[in-house]
Amino acid sequence: MKDELQNYMGRPKRYNNIDGTGEMGMGIFLLSFALLNYLQTALPAKSMWRHGFANMLLFFAGVLLMLGLILWITKAIKKHITWPRTGYVAFRRSGKSSWKAIAFAAVGGAGSVCLFELAARHNAMNLAEAVYLAVLVGAYAIFIYRFSREHPWKWLVVIFMALGLFAMTLIVPSILMESWWFPMLFFGLVWLASGGATLYLYIRHTQPPDPEAE
Amino acid sequence: MNEQLRAISELDRVIHEPGRLMIVAMLAAVKECDFLYLLHETELNKGNLSGHLARLEEAGYVEIEKTYRGKVPQTLLRLTRAGRAAFDQYRKGLKAAF
Repeated sequence: MKDELQNYMGRPKRYNNIDGTGEMGMGIFLLSFALLNYLQTALPAKSMWRHGFANMLLFFAGVLLMLGLILWITKAIKKHITWPRTGYVAFRRSGKSSWKAIAFAAVGGAGSVCLFELAARHNAMNLAEAVYLAVLVGAYAIFIYRFSREHPWKWLVVIFMALGLFAMTLIVPSILMESWWFPMLFFGLVWLASGGATLYLYIRHTQPPDPEAE
Repeated sequence: MNEQLRAISELDRVIHEPGRLMIVAMLAAVKECDFLYLLHETELNKGNLSGHLARLEEAGYVEIEKTYRGKVPQTLLRLTRAGRAAFDQYRKGLKAAF
């Protein structure tokens, strides 16, 4: 009964991503970083935007714009779609860490590093790239484990993501280190698509708002 | 009376009822939520949910605020300090009993 109660109390946390806004926010975050990194490589070498203060200004402006966009989209979806359909929730901020999630991340990360280390032995990639790859895939896996357990198909997305990044590093061995905007673009698109699919399923499986709901 | 039986007999009866336990457990995990959210999460009907909320409000465990979201009425619900303390005590009692 204690465990059931604990599990029940975890439902509001999962509710936060019931509409896929968490994943879409992360997708936009990664796509923005990909765009900023691409701009760095695409701008002429002598451009002022590639050096010093102007470069920093461009980066911070990009980050602020991205955060604003994420907040705006999330709030708009919650306000016009989620809250009228399945209710409004304001969350408590707790400093407690979840040891389960940390252990899961450690095991997942170590497993991924082992897998990619095996590839490194065959000169397919170096250890730094392997760790980088493990972190990218592990972050999505942890997110799914914690907030989106009711969608088991997302574990296929984890596999797709891992295989996609793995294939990228096999085709262009130094892609993660030299032009990381491309894997970041792939990663951001997968997060965004996963969130979009969650939102679509949510809308399909919930009733439109009832004016007399209360 | 042994310790386990004592712990069971001392469980808060207002919270111990299954419907109210679901409501309090849900409210304990959030800052505040509305009636529609509880309706969706607990799968109780409107009448039962209203009845349980009235009982919890009477016990001083839940604060109910009637407001509007645009032109739509909205009922905001949150656990009071007494409610949170009672729920913590209830969980401790449950742990001791089992």
